[in-house]
Amino acid sequence: MGLTGIQIYKLLPKTNCKECGEPTCLAFAMKLAAGKAELAKCPYVSDEAKEQLSEASAPPIRGITLGTGENAFKIGEEVVLYRHEKTFVNQPGYGILITDTMDDTEVEAKIKRLNEMFFERVGLTLTADFAALKNESGDPSKFESLTQKVMGLTQKALVLISENVDALSAAGKVAKDRRPLLYAATKENADQVGALAKELGVPVAAKANGLDELIELSEKLTSIGLKDIVLDPGNRKLKDLYADLHFHRRAALKDKFKPLGFPFITFPNEMTDDPMKEALYAAIFVAKYAGLIVLSDLDAHRMLPLTVQRLNIYTDPQRPMIMEQGIYEINKPDKSSPVLLTTNFALTYFIVSAEIEASRVPSWLLVMDTEGLSVLTAWSAGKFVADAIAPFVKKSGIEEKVDHRNIIIPGYVAQISGELEEELGGDWKVVLGTREASDIPAFLRTYASKG
Amino acid sequence: MSRIILTAAIRGSHAIVNRVAKKVEEAIEKFGPDQKVELPNTGYYLPIIWGILGIPVTKLGDMPRVVEYCKNLLPPIPDEKNWLPYLGPGLDAGMATLLSYDMEEALKYLEDPLPYLPLAEDCDDEHLWLGAADDRIMRKRGVEFVDGTAPGFAAIVGAAPDNETAVKIAKELQEKNLYVFMASDHNGVNMAEQLKEEGVQLGWTTRLVPFGKDTSAAIHAMGFATRVAMAFGGVKPGDYVKILRYNKNRVFAFVMALGHVTDEWYAAAAGCINWGFPTIADSNIPQILPTGVCTYEHVVSNVPHDQIVSKAIEVRGLKIQVAKVPVPVSYGPAFEGERIGKDAMHVELAGPKAMGVEFCTSAPLDEVQDGKIELVGPDFKDMEEGSRHSLGILVTVAGRKMQEDFEPILERQIHHFLNWAEGVLHIGQRDIIWLRISKKAMEKGFSAIHFGKILHARFHSEFNNIVDKIQVNIYTEEDKVKLLLDKARTVWKERDERLAGLTDDAVDTFYSCTLCQSFAPNHVCIITPERPGLCGAYNWLDGKAAYEINPTGPNQPVKKGEVVDEKLGKWKGVDEFVYPTSHNTIQSFSAYSIMNDPMTSCGCFECITVVLPMANGVMIVDRDSTCMTPCGMTFSTLAGTVGGGLQTPGFIGMSKFYIGSKKFISADGGFKRIVWMPKALKEQLKDMLVKRSEEIGIPDFYDKIATEEDATTEEEVIEFMNKVGHPALEMEPMM
Amino acid sequence: MAFTPPLEKYAGKIREVVIGKGDKVVKLGGHNAMPGCIFDGDFPNLPKIALEVFDSAPEDWAPEAIKPYEDVVNDPVAWAKKAVDVYNAELVCLHLKSTDPNGENVGADEAAQLAKKVSDSISVPLIVLGSGNAEKDGEVAAKVCEVCAGQNLLVGLAVEDNYKKIGAAAIGYGHCVAAQSPIDVNLAKQLNILLDNLGVPLDKIVMEPSTGALGYGIEYTYSVMERIELAALSQNDDKMQLPIMNIMAVETWKTREAKLDVDAEPTFGDLSKRGILWEAMTAVDLILSGTSLLIMRHPEAVRLTKEIIEELYLGK
Ligand code: SF4
Ligand code: SF4
Repeated sequence: MGLTGIQIYKLLPKTNCKECGEPTCLAFAMKLAAGKAELAKCPYVSDEAKEQLSEASAPPIRGITLGTGENAFKIGEEVVLYRHEKTFVNQPGYGILITDTMDDTEVEAKIKRLNEMFFERVGLTLTADFAALKNESGDPSKFESLTQKVMGLTQKALVLISENVDALSAAGKVAKDRRPLLYAATKENADQVGALAKELGVPVAAKANGLDELIELSEKLTSIGLKDIVLDPGNRKLKDLYADLHFHRRAALKDKFKPLGFPFITFPNEMTDDPMKEALYAAIFVAKYAGLIVLSDLDAHRMLPLTVQRLNIYTDPQRPMIMEQGIYEINKPDKSSPVLLTTNFALTYFIVSAEIEASRVPSWLLVMDTEGLSVLTAWSAGKFVADAIAPFVKKSGIEEKVDHRNIIIPGYVAQISGELEEELGGDWKVVLGTREASDIPAFLRTYASKG
Repeated sequence: MSRIILTAAIRGSHAIVNRVAKKVEEAIEKFGPDQKVELPNTGYYLPIIWGILGIPVTKLGDMPRVVEYCKNLLPPIPDEKNWLPYLGPGLDAGMATLLSYDMEEALKYLEDPLPYLPLAEDCDDEHLWLGAADDRIMRKRGVEFVDGTAPGFAAIVGAAPDNETAVKIAKELQEKNLYVFMASDHNGVNMAEQLKEEGVQLGWTTRLVPFGKDTSAAIHAMGFATRVAMAFGGVKPGDYVKILRYNKNRVFAFVMALGHVTDEWYAAAAGCINWGFPTIADSNIPQILPTGVCTYEHVVSNVPHDQIVSKAIEVRGLKIQVAKVPVPVSYGPAFEGERIGKDAMHVELAGPKAMGVEFCTSAPLDEVQDGKIELVGPDFKDMEEGSRHSLGILVTVAGRKMQEDFEPILERQIHHFLNWAEGVLHIGQRDIIWLRISKKAMEKGFSAIHFGKILHARFHSEFNNIVDKIQVNIYTEEDKVKLLLDKARTVWKERDERLAGLTDDAVDTFYSCTLCQSFAPNHVCIITPERPGLCGAYNWLDGKAAYEINPTGPNQPVKKGEVVDEKLGKWKGVDEFVYPTSHNTIQSFSAYSIMNDPMTSCGCFECITVVLPMANGVMIVDRDSTCMTPCGMTFSTLAGTVGGGLQTPGFIGMSKFYIGSKKFISADGGFKRIVWMPKALKEQLKDMLVKRSEEIGIPDFYDKIATEEDATTEEEVIEFMNKVGHPALEMEPMM
Repeated sequence: MAFTPPLEKYAGKIREVVIGKGDKVVKLGGHNAMPGCIFDGDFPNLPKIALEVFDSAPEDWAPEAIKPYEDVVNDPVAWAKKAVDVYNAELVCLHLKSTDPNGENVGADEAAQLAKKVSDSISVPLIVLGSGNAEKDGEVAAKVCEVCAGQNLLVGLAVEDNYKKIGAAAIGYGHCVAAQSPIDVNLAKQLNILLDNLGVPLDKIVMEPSTGALGYGIEYTYSVMERIELAALSQNDDKMQLPIMNIMAVETWKTREAKLDVDAEPTFGDLSKRGILWEAMTAVDLILSGTSLLIMRHPEAVRLTKEIIEELYLGK
């Protein structure tokens, strides 16, 4: 693919002046090579080098940011077809459809769901990203006022949907500081919508009938100087859209085919009336190459799996299945909160921490480096035994964080409790926890209530 | 092949083929050609004929054709003066014999009364002989052959000199989980009869199966084996090459000839060699030692009865399994970290204040007695509580595939193996061992002999592929320990010198490691004598041994092949291996360069070497270092940048050992390029670095390597280099 | 210039594995392109779905998962029939859970008899799995093979510690082997090699790469499966060209997301739909990463999954 760090380095000024924020030109070059820095950060690159580099370092799928401030999110910049090859980078955005024919209560209810949709999972917060406003009425003023209303109700990003140039223009002007996406330039209106996007300085979507037409449109928009483009091939049938998404990703990555080097927007909401099915389509587009996903609604029972899906698919796969050794705080623990111990196998950690979280009992979780082995395997491999655990616990710093000396160990390693108590010495008491993680909440609640 | 055996076998086969031909003729006369002939409940007709020739014999009329085939197969009987050096004619004669036997036994099922008990699994009081196994039994028992519950069978012809010996041999074979198939007689007696007299239960259930008293009944053993190949190996009838190969490679069977070997036995034994089944005889007959058709020898003779089973197992190449480590204390890796304090300790062995030695060596197969454990000196229970004693452990192994190179690898394992026992603390290796035995272990009856038991069991289970026999000597007597120590030290010296002398140029094969592909999908380590795996855990010898032990595992041999670039360390064979193994991502690989197609880095490297372009050299940073380095990246940032199985010119993850190797980035200027490393690492590797400094003719080079105390930025490194006159300044530019 | 869609042609092809005998036969695999990429290659067999049956009434199942089977949970034969007749299962997967030596420890003979009874009473092929105790599973599977000789069941789970027992019995009595390896490409391949060396024909093995549910390791399963499929197709790696199966329902329905009701987790939304979706979405991920056989539980999740398969591959 692109240039190696060393090749890039050769084109840099080699002065280690640090103005790019990196201590050396080499470090900066490595970041550029990994697509984690922008060339513009170095003020001293020669024009000639710039040309060579930007060609090579431009992401094959353009990164596009919607929204502003805390609510801004970026899509695109993907560099691989399969997540194991490196990682999927920018999670696709989930949006809720709101039309200008809905009554106020419905609009408000939907926006409320958008604003409040929020799950916490292993220390991460999962949310939805944008409101897709649709000019269903065909009336520009209705669209404008919907936009205005929604702007007042949420800070989230916006996608403005209309094929009516006037409506788009009216709403676009209202929302332009929010960095909305204008949807869409079509074969019929590309010139006007393109001009509008340029005028407002906001991203624009191209909607076509099939890939050939889409490529033409994309080229046209590019030719008038637009850079931030999102694509919609128009297909609303799973089989065909699945093919389009594949061709887009392959052409952009493998052939560096610029006209398709932009993120795609998908509309599961337009593909079915069955909300369950809609969620499954969305899940497919998360895995297979969408940048934006518009949903009819954001009900919790669908969004929980969907946000987890997105999180899972976009996890960095090169990270081995291990957690960093250390103390993990769950549910805001204090000096009297219970201390639990487990191994650093990622799945063990996920399950245990999710259950502790579910218990709502503030707790400290000690995660010990067992080279990624689960509790029983680690024990039988001699890595999760008393004289390894004791020094870890002592050095972990937990003794400063709590004023008690009780440690809960996994039920599966009951046999080490005596020896561990001995090794820990002092006032340490070993408490036997549950064998199965699913029993943790019940265990912790009784444990905590006993004080 | 010995002329005597050959002649006897061919003579025997002539007699048999003619006899059977006659019997077939008579039977046709008596019953007519349309008379059905079949073995009970089988879909394999007469299994040898069906398997080898693909001819389904269903009626008498089908037989003459086979008889004809046998006759054609028969070689002429060699005259006395002629020397026939080849095995071939003997094998043909043997095959003709077995094909004929197949018919001879089938004809028995036309007799009235039937001489066999058909369809029965076990013998009853009146019926001793079971004859052919039906398909139901064959499947049920065949499964055991495949899954290893029963590795094979002993086809015994004749009888032991007395009943007691017969029982002993049978028992020993049973203990090895082998089936015992019995046929033929010696002086009118068959071993099955001897066993029956002694009240031994006979039948498929006890795995002691009497087929019949005629020598021809031994064919049921071969018929069984042939059907197993068709049923479990998916071999098509008539594909005799595959049938024979399946049996040779998968059915651990052998013939045990007890008693005077007749021409007929010779003929049958020759037949069995076709299946890869050797013959072990207790009588003094000529041997056929050179290997060829069978895995090892073909005929081994004059074996005493108390050794005949272990000899048979050795000759057939059967692997011993010791399922459980037979010690009175718990055993497992969980006890590896166990510590034994002064109070909990019964005795201390070796350690800093007494002599200790642990030594593994190999010897020829016939000099090692598997399972023999010998203790010279007092056992633990006779040692005073709290006392200290010297200890010597000598492990002698033997194996068909054992190589001297594997000795140190086995020796290193002694530590783990002993340490896994609860109540045993083991530290160190070679002559720096230190052990403690806990009081608790003593209460459970732990003895010095158990060291031997542990090592015997574990070496068998872990190193099955290279080790066939293990014998352990344990010394607690001072002078004996001293003797062993002196001997071991001489050997260790030789070993170390040999290892140091191993160079990339001296070998034609490297080894790969793909263990890390689980998280770095395209990463391949190429392990050469002068460059271990980048995690530092696998050197070339380890790779070699790992491959022998587990030929399908993550370590594979990589033939260097044609040299593509000697300086960079590129070979055609290596590239051809790396490309597919890296899932078509790494086109070419240099063993000795950091700039040009360097090796990929997975993530477990001990340290990372990075170019410092302006300093015209490289810096090295190890995993334990947390500080910022002159390249502007910390170890963890670097690890994130270069890991994951990518080829990153200018950066390599590597083992610490490689720094001291003559091949360390030799294509880019080598050792002299090192300009910076963390102080702790530099000190840790001091001996090695100083030695290399001397080798490159700059004895004070060690002091020219900057550490974080001298420089933390590239500029400061250059300043330091100027101050000390670092040779890299004068070298050609790295990039 | 018209755009030419970039197609991927692969050198390799997944073996076709046939499960069952006579008129109850299901074929797995046989494709030569990545999941859903019908524009790249052929998919003679679409991913199949088996429904689960347990040999004893499940104790701690989510109510939503129990509901469809409430009337049959105590009778595995009736359960299996209902799965086929009412819920149109393409295969049935019998979990011999009660053979667990740490649980009821039902003997191999009894378990095998049950397997035979179930197999005889349904019109689709049967998959038989043990309790997850490697040693006992070997024993149970070997017995199942013997008792159901010639029926060409899919029997498992063969793992590194018991593959010889199961493999040998499967060869001897004519069955297919379900082989599970711990979530690693090379270990999966290694087990295939071991089975191959044992003599199990490669077209009688289905790989189970260790399946995680959505939120509980699905991403690892997903990537391991993609890597297996790619190794099979693009590198033409003979030892990887086996269809993949996923024992997924057990994993999805034990997650708290599929179990906790709204009172316990007010932000999680409708429990019953959430559980179904958790299963269906896990299934979708497995389809996208290359499964050929899903072991599922809830009929509604199955319906959704089946529709997705048909839409994706057949454009329905
Ligand atoms: S700003 Fe440019 S010249 Fe300065 S250190 Fe960064 S890359 Fe080098
Ligand atoms: S780093 Fe070590 S374990 Fe990993 S592939 Fe290389 S030699 Fe093997």
